[in-house]
Amino acid sequence: MPTTTSTSSSFSSAASSSGNRQADVFSRLASSDPEVKLKALREVKNQIIGNRTKKLSFLKLGAVPAIASALSDSECNSILVQSAAALGSFACGFEAGVQAVLDAGVFPLLLRLLTSSDEKVVDAGARSLRMIFQSNQAPKYDFLQEKNMKFLFSLLNSENENVSGLGASIIAHACGTTVQQQVLCDAGVLEKLVILLDGSLSQREACLESLATVLKNNPEAVSRFVGLEAGRYLSSVTELTKDRYPRTRLLSCLCLVVIYNTSPSYFLNMGTKSSLVTTLLELLNDHGQSGDDAALGLSSLIAEKEDLQKLAYEANAIKNIVDILKTGSELHPKRLQGLFLSLAELCSKLEDCRCSFLSLEMLDLLVNALRHKNADVRTAACICFRNAARSVKNLSAGRFTNDHVMLPLVQLLHDPSSSVEVAVLGALSNIVLDFSSPKSTFIEYGGIKQLIELSKSMDPNARCSALRALRNLMFLADNKRKELFYSEVKAQGFVSLISDPEPTVQEQALALLRNLVDGCINSIEFVFDEDGLILDTVGKQLRKSPQAHMAIQGMYVLTNVASGTELHKEAVMQQLFPQPQAESNNFMLKFLQSHESQLRSATVWTIINLISPSSPGAHDRHVKLRDEGIIPQLKNMVNDACLDVKIRIRTVLSQSMSFGDN
Amino acid sequence: MSLFRIFINQLEEDDQEMATSKKVITRGEWEKKLNAVKLRKEDMNTLVMNFLVTEGFVEAADKFQRESGTKPEIDLATITDRMAVKKAVQNGNVEDAIEKVNDLNPEILDTNPELFFHLQQQRLIELIRQGKTEEALEFAQEELAPRGEENHAFLQELEKTVALLVFEDASNCPVKDLLDISHRLKTASEVNAAILTSQSHEKDPKLPSLLKMLIWAQNQLDEKAVYPHINDLSTGQLEDPSD
Repeated sequence: MPTTTSTSSSFSSAASSSGNRQADVFSRLASSDPEVKLKALREVKNQIIGNRTKKLSFLKLGAVPAIASALSDSECNSILVQSAAALGSFACGFEAGVQAVLDAGVFPLLLRLLTSSDEKVVDAGARSLRMIFQSNQAPKYDFLQEKNMKFLFSLLNSENENVSGLGASIIAHACGTTVQQQVLCDAGVLEKLVILLDGSLSQREACLESLATVLKNNPEAVSRFVGLEAGRYLSSVTELTKDRYPRTRLLSCLCLVVIYNTSPSYFLNMGTKSSLVTTLLELLNDHGQSGDDAALGLSSLIAEKEDLQKLAYEANAIKNIVDILKTGSELHPKRLQGLFLSLAELCSKLEDCRCSFLSLEMLDLLVNALRHKNADVRTAACICFRNAARSVKNLSAGRFTNDHVMLPLVQLLHDPSSSVEVAVLGALSNIVLDFSSPKSTFIEYGGIKQLIELSKSMDPNARCSALRALRNLMFLADNKRKELFYSEVKAQGFVSLISDPEPTVQEQALALLRNLVDGCINSIEFVFDEDGLILDTVGKQLRKSPQAHMAIQGMYVLTNVASGTELHKEAVMQQLFPQPQAESNNFMLKFLQSHESQLRSATVWTIINLISPSSPGAHDRHVKLRDEGIIPQLKNMVNDACLDVKIRIRTVLSQSMSFGDN
Repeated sequence: MSLFRIFINQLEEDDQEMATSKKVITRGEWEKKLNAVKLRKEDMNTLVMNFLVTEGFVEAADKFQRESGTKPEIDLATITDRMAVKKAVQNGNVEDAIEKVNDLNPEILDTNPELFFHLQQQRLIELIRQGKTEEALEFAQEELAPRGEENHAFLQELEKTVALLVFEDASNCPVKDLLDISHRLKTASEVNAAILTSQSHEKDPKLPSLLKMLIWAQNQLDEKAVYPHINDLSTGQLEDPSD
């Protein structure tokens, strides 16, 4: 068709002519004639507003510094307005633009505009500054400085809604620490902000955002806010969750979520909780940014709260979220993250939720999310897997251990992001507890090697999580699996793990060892490898006054070893009472006096195994224990507060009596 | 045959019984009930002012304010600006409209990607309508294609619009509705609503909602009663129920 050939040539000329036009406008920006300059500024402004591509190309031409000089050099109000508006547009939702604007030193220039006598100039300056403060790159506002606080309040007090909105925006995006929150509250910022609640739409929204920032995790600030006019403003915010504008509904919900998470006592009313959950669920359907924020808000609201999770489940949350995920349209990563985290929270404690979720054929979607380019999404998907795998019914149905699911999970063990690594380890820790199949797909995929790799990671969280996964892998494992694992680690490897600088890692390593030596008597031999290196290390760690959680696992290791042969029991005695002993460094006594009932229990178990009457050397060991003051200590503990401990002690004492002891 | 007739007669009798099971209200009774409802003049004035302001009848609103003392909800000066934008779109001067919106509030188009896209789309339609094919293609390539890349839904609408260029006779093609004046009005309405929202004003006047409620109420009441209807909203005349 003849028209096609002519249009293809006009396409190429289109590109060059638009480039020429842009260069032309750009050159006119630098004109000394104010009329020409003003016209050029307007042209640039009108071209870039709403148009990200144009913002980028003008940015590359160097338009921002040029406009900045127009702003600084001119006294003419029209030029000030147009240049401020153009700069504000560059900064609107466009990070490279914010960077360029700040680099060009525009910030102080815009501040100057706020004191102009011309209302339009003030408006333009305030709007543009607000755009800058929406970004993380905004200059850190130092609330602790007297003059800054004064300036902030002058903004909040202004009649001009753009200016007061700017004040609220600065607070919303710059207030981060408890100290800042305190300083702001003490200066009376809450009283100023709540006035904005009755103002225009943009003032209300700015106010809600800044309230959430000032109140977050600060119970004092929350109680101050609620105390204002006897709770009137808390009611106002609650009312706003039914406002006609979705963004207002969202921001007020997020504000309430912050208050609820900080001081739940203000929400005793079930009705409010319920309507908060349902409003957020409704907002999930909003296509814009409100929907993205609603998803994260919902996950934050129901996190760790079983009653709210139940409410959400009854409000059909799972089906609603799954429907949104299944729409197939490309969802913003923030929204995906929020939706998966919400699902994860729903599945965290409630079996009904897990079954409902898994019955909706979601696994494919979840598996795809494991491959998403955004790390937060991958992390959220892993957490979702971890919680869903808590369903024993579905786990043993093999839903998680088939190749389709297992392979992508294992691949994530190499993920560059540490949060993803920790999250996938959490998921695998649960999944490897599937006892229904004799083979383990995970092991077939070389999972053990990878976990051992990760147990040497620089990140202590990763080390801890990897060991937890290994611990679960070794739980009730058969000899073959144990051998396979041990051959990769060896005695020296274990020693390093048990001697890790982080106590939490040590604890997991000992728990892993406990599971390793549990089961048949042959398993106990592991700790005797290389001249009892591992057992020695355990003893050494126990003698070092360890934290209770670590000591518990260590004592259970000894308990398991002491359940073996005569030789095993004697070896344990060696660790408990090494010769020569300079001072009576008797850690067993210390453990028996611990506040942690589990530690007392574990220690008593070791004793039970050591003096179990069926073994020949029991009598001599009993004598030693008595002489070291252990048996007398137990006699003092007959009425231990913990029932489990009490029962075990009774066992020991009856064994003791069978040795003819008084 | 006679059995059939008896059956039909029975049905007719049933019908009459059903008709008379609804409550009948005469014209006199109805007017009496209506007169018993008290309305405040201020409320009615507010409704009228709300309508004039939202629809943008500045001079009428101004005059009404002077004559009745009713305060307009927003500054009448801002209405003038808003009406200029709406008029520009209705006349097909979209570029002019965009400039005016940006003068009024530069945030509106920067934070409303859907509105911005529709305005740019309207610009494209106007270029096609004027027969400026090359310019239209250039415009589509430079301004609209990037928007389509950013958002899948926009891409589909863009493709529909560009399709206008493919047909010899655009006014008879499957997407000819785009060329219709009503599309201009749709875009104009969208811009109007966005400006009103940015000024924290409700984008719809209350009067149409009230009239809709009237019709709904009549429909609901029809199931239970026979009474004089308002059938013509423009006259508001009561009409007796048909027998």
